This record gives sequence, C-alpha cells and structure tokens, in this order.
Amino acid sequence: MEEKTLPRILGFLCKWCSSTGADLAGVSRLKMPASLIPIRVMCSSRVNPIFVLKAFLGGADGVLVSGCHPGDCHYQSGNYYTRRRFAVTKKIFEELGLDTNRIRLSWISASEGQRFVNVVTEFTENLKKVGKNPVKAEVFL
Amino acid sequence: MVKIGLYLCECGPNIAEAINLDKIAEQIKKDNKVAGIEQHKLLCSEDGKKFLVESIKKNEFERIVIAACSPKQHETTFMEVMSSSDLNPYMFQLVNIREQCAWMTPDKEAATSKALRSIRAAINRVRHHDALQQKEIDCNPDVIVVGGGITGIEAALRTAQKNRKVYLIEEQKLGGRLREYGLLFPTMQPAQEFLNKKITEVKNTGQIRVFENSKVKEILGFFGNFVATIENKDREEIEVNAGSVILAIGANPFIPTGLAKYGYGTFDDVYTAAEFEKMTSSNNITTKSGNPPKSVAIIHCVGRKRLGYCSKVCCTNSMKIARYIKEKLNGVKVIQFYKNLCLPDKKYDEFYKKTKEKGIEFLRFSDIEVTKEANQMMLKYKQENDNEDALPVDMVVLSTGLIPNPKTEDFAQMLNIPVDEYGFFKEEHMKLGPISTITEGVFIAGCAQGPHSINDSMVQAGAAAGKILSSLVPGRRLQLETKTSYVSETMCIGCGVCVDICAYGALTIDESKRISVVNEVLCRGCGNCASACPSGAARHRHFTTKQITQEMIEILK
Repeated sequence: MEEKTLPRILGFLCKWCSSTGADLAGVSRLKMPASLIPIRVMCSSRVNPIFVLKAFLGGADGVLVSGCHPGDCHYQSGNYYTRRRFAVTKKIFEELGLDTNRIRLSWISASEGQRFVNVVTEFTENLKKVGKNPVKAEVFL
Repeated sequence: MVKIGLYLCECGPNIAEAINLDKIAEQIKKDNKVAGIEQHKLLCSEDGKKFLVESIKKNEFERIVIAACSPKQHETTFMEVMSSSDLNPYMFQLVNIREQCAWMTPDKEAATSKALRSIRAAINRVRHHDALQQKEIDCNPDVIVVGGGITGIEAALRTAQKNRKVYLIEEQKLGGRLREYGLLFPTMQPAQEFLNKKITEVKNTGQIRVFENSKVKEILGFFGNFVATIENKDREEIEVNAGSVILAIGANPFIPTGLAKYGYGTFDDVYTAAEFEKMTSSNNITTKSGNPPKSVAIIHCVGRKRLGYCSKVCCTNSMKIARYIKEKLNGVKVIQFYKNLCLPDKKYDEFYKKTKEKGIEFLRFSDIEVTKEANQMMLKYKQENDNEDALPVDMVVLSTGLIPNPKTEDFAQMLNIPVDEYGFFKEEHMKLGPISTITEGVFIAGCAQGPHSINDSMVQAGAAAGKILSSLVPGRRLQLETKTSYVSETMCIGCGVCVDICAYGALTIDESKRISVVNEVLCRGCGNCASACPSGAARHRHFTTKQITQEMIEILK
C-alpha cells in the first residue's frame, strides 16, 4: 500500500562510502522509508549526467547521487568531477524548466548511517510535497 | 534464451521475517524471465554453498542472481561459488535485500516490494553481464629505495630478504642527516653508534646493493615493473628493475634567513639547531671569540608561523641540545624560550621533566628579538603577560622546523604523485593509506611525507616494507583489477578528455592511432572516464552504460 504513495527515488551510491554508509544504517537497524532503490557504482564519478536525466525522464520522482565527502574520494578526485557534473545537470534541469528539487547530491561517508537515513527521509518528504513526477505522463520518448 | 537462476536467501530469520520471499518468488515466476527460483535458509553457510553449486550445475544456469546480504559481506564468497560451478564469476549479481532493505524497512509489505524491484533490476542487469577474465602480469619483487637516511636504511633492511633485491640510492653517504647528529632524544644515546650499527647491518645484508654519491635520474613504469636510471659516483648510468619504490628522501631544516628579528646571518653566535648539532658532533662548543659560552638561549618555533605547521620534533630536540650543553660546559646557563611545547610521545613528558630537573630554564614568550649592544648579544622579549624584558646571552640556538627536500617536486612529477600544500609528498589517504601514494607501488616514508621523529620514520619504513612484502611475492604473478576501463577504437575521437581527468595516468593517447588507450595495470576502475567521454568510447567493465541503464529501467517500471 505504502509503495503507491511513496515517491520513487533512484539512488546512485558509491561502493566505498555511501553504499557502506547505507549498509551501516541497516546494520544499526535505523528505519527509513522504502522509497529509495539503490544502484551501486564504484565511484560517484561513474554517474554520467545522462543517467540522471534518463532516470528522471523514465519516471523517477527523485534521483540521489551520493559519494564520499570532498577530499575523501577512494579514487582521489572522482567526487570533484561528480560535483561539477551535478552542477551542470542542475543547469540543464533549469534550462528545460524541470524541477531541480527532484535531484540531489549528498556526501555520505561509510560511517554516516544516520546521515544516509536523514538524507533519504528528508528527500522523500520533500518529494511528497512536490508530488509525482509529471514527466512520464507528459513526455513521449 | 539465456538461463538465469535466482536464489533467495532467508539469512536465518534476518530476511525471511522482514520480507515475504514467497510472494517475491511468485511474482518473479509470473515475470517469466528466470529459468528457476530457489530459496535457502543460509546461502553463505558451507551447506548453502554446496547447495548452490549442485543446484547451479543441475539446472544448467548460465547467469545467477542472488538476493541476500550486502556485497561487502559475501560478494567474494558467491563469486567463488560461481567459479566452483564452472561459471565465470562475473556472470553474477548480488542484490542487497538485507542491510539496505530488510533491516531498515519496518513495514513488511513495503520491504517486499522494494526487494522485488531490486531483484527485478538485478535480473535485467545480469542479462547484460560480460564474462571478465582475471588478468595477471609478471612482476618484479625487487625494491628501489630512494634516500639513504635512517628511513631508507630501515626500509632497505626490512625489505631485503631471500629472493628479493634492494637498491638503496643515496646522493651523498649512507646515513643522511643523522650523520650530523651527536645524540638522540629521548634516550640520549650517541647517534653515530646507533647509525653505524644500522649501516653495518646494511653492508652485511647481501641482498642490498648500495649506491652512494648517486642520483636517480629517472623512474619509469608501474607497479610490478619499474625501471630506474641511476647515475653512480663515477657518473655512469646504470639501469635497475624493481616492482616497487620507497621514497625516503627526507626533509631539510628550515633556514631562517628571511626572519630578521632572530639575527641569523647578522650576528656571529646565532646558529640553527642543525648547525649546532654539527658542532656537538665535533665536541667543540665555543663562541666566535674562542671562549665557551656562559649563557645559551634556545628559541623555539622559529619560522613556525611561516611554515604553517608544527614539526613535532624540534621541542624535544631543543631539550636534547640544552642537556648536552649543560653537561659539557660547567656552570653554563641554558634558557629555553618557547611559545608552546609539543611533546607528542609517551616518553617525551618524562624527558621534559628530567630536562627541567637538570636546571634548564623554560621561559614562555610572546615575541622576541635578538639584538646586540656594545658587543653583547641581548634578547629582548615580551613575556606571556606582555611584560617586556631583556637578557644578555653569549649564544643563540634557533630551533627551526623541517621543510620538504627540494627534490620532492621532481620525484612527484616523475612518479605522478601529488604534493600537499606544504610541499611534502601527499599520502594516498591520511588514515586509510598513510604510507601509500596514488601511484600503486610507490610508497613514502619518513620526513619526505612530513616531519617525523626517527622512531616514527622507522615505523613508516617498516610499514612500507610490509606493504611490499605482502603484495609482491617472489614467484607469484600480480593480479590486476578486473573492472577496468577500456576504449573502443572505433568510437574514440582522440580528444584526450579522459587522459586529463584520470587520477592515475592510466589513459594516454596512442599517437600512431590518434586514440586513447588504457593501461590496465594503472587503471583502478572508478569509471570516471566512462562518464566524461563525449563519444561513448571509454567504457567501464561491469558498469557499462547498458548494464546500469537496464538496471534503471527495471527500477522505474
């Protein structure tokens, strides 16, 4: 039942920090809405802006990109590229008149289980306010 | 159609109680995309693994999806099961329905539908997996140690063993800066005695080849296969091969020429601690006039502000010098002018107390100036409480910190490793990789990484040696990262974007073909190039655009 009303979030989590942080949230038995379905990548820098756009056009209510904190990237500088690409993605969203509230970039370390839960919960609440992604109904691709 | 097998793990009650696995099995069966679904109480158990192998073989599954715990927990376990089942270990996808689903979703129905979505995504993904082969290369277990100071010596001694040669390269003579030392803190043991013991050990170790008065001209290659060109004392060029490099080029003492208030270079009897150290090793402490000094001031933290960091060793070193003077010269007055005392070791506090007991004065100041009045050196200083005072002294020792060896930048460029904001080599990660660098197989130890005591430098040398001994084993081949990037020859336009962004220098332009190529030994498989490539030529194995997109499509259905 809950699933119908919950926003659907696609979450790109980097293997080293964010996915491990999400694991920690589970291990600590922290609770959060079942809104986010994770996709594990080696580094957040693997997340091509096209993935974000594609997810959005595919009907995702929200897209979360999450990696290690700046300066902590397992691959030295991957997350800096992610940050720049995300800024570009946001610009594209603005230009196209899409709602930038639907995409989010968050740094979550391997020890931040609570932060992972907070980010997802907060993002879910925000998306509930924004409503379902209208793109699916309006765009033909 | 490719035969995909789905295995659902109950993980005891962990998953079974939070997720309705029967419902999932029922739904997946309806989807009609897998050739078989099996459920098990605990797939990672010996019994579970046996069950998996038998079941996979019996059903002749070609690709496997396992819904169980976090990949962090058992991805390797199940990949081994894949191999035992005569399948390529990469024809497999593990769905995390425990940590990231069962354990964090209180509502069973919500957890079930979330798990179902993830499993469907994995089934769609695994369909597009490629069989990846574990790549191996021959590697050289030998070690190049740059810098023959105490850190380099220790690194060489720790790495030299049967079937492993060590090339220890020193620009001057073995021993480095330690050769100029009189005593060592906090033991107050003669430095040369200690050093000579170590040097003898080096000379008695057959595996170590020492190059004194020699320079490293170039180091090329990568982890497992480095080639160094050494210019030896006769100015001949020699090439040596090794699998790893330890940079132990040390640091230099800061020279306070630019700081006028200390009178360095202006007045005769003002020395840096390093210069004074040389005097102690010749056992002759006199002022320029030829008489032993009646009073000596040691000023701490000279240049501390300019350097921007604490050098960790100078406080204790100053006390060592003070004690030395006190012992050698009868009735001499020794005053330590300090701002903050840094005593970062369990033995240092005791050392400080003992120093005080010897009658050495400690005076805290906020500002100080060395002047001269009628042939007498005067220290004008401001105390903590802003009271001003002056003190006549015969000799001033300036305790300065450590600055990077000027060669640091050259080696950093040569081996593609970054330097930090102060100019020292930057470690891979302050906590997770304190002695490794972003270039695999290149390690940093001792003061080349930042100021360290002799003890800490030796510990770092040992740590670097440990890393090498465990990763490059004589007779064994080096296993490479499998999930690397590759560049499609037909798609690449040779723009070089990937070359610029790769943190490991794994991508280069092949000038003859005008396209980018990946060095699979250097590639660590982050996938950054695959995201940056404007023509879709750079691809990330096991994380291809197709695989990720297929996963996405199913999640969003």
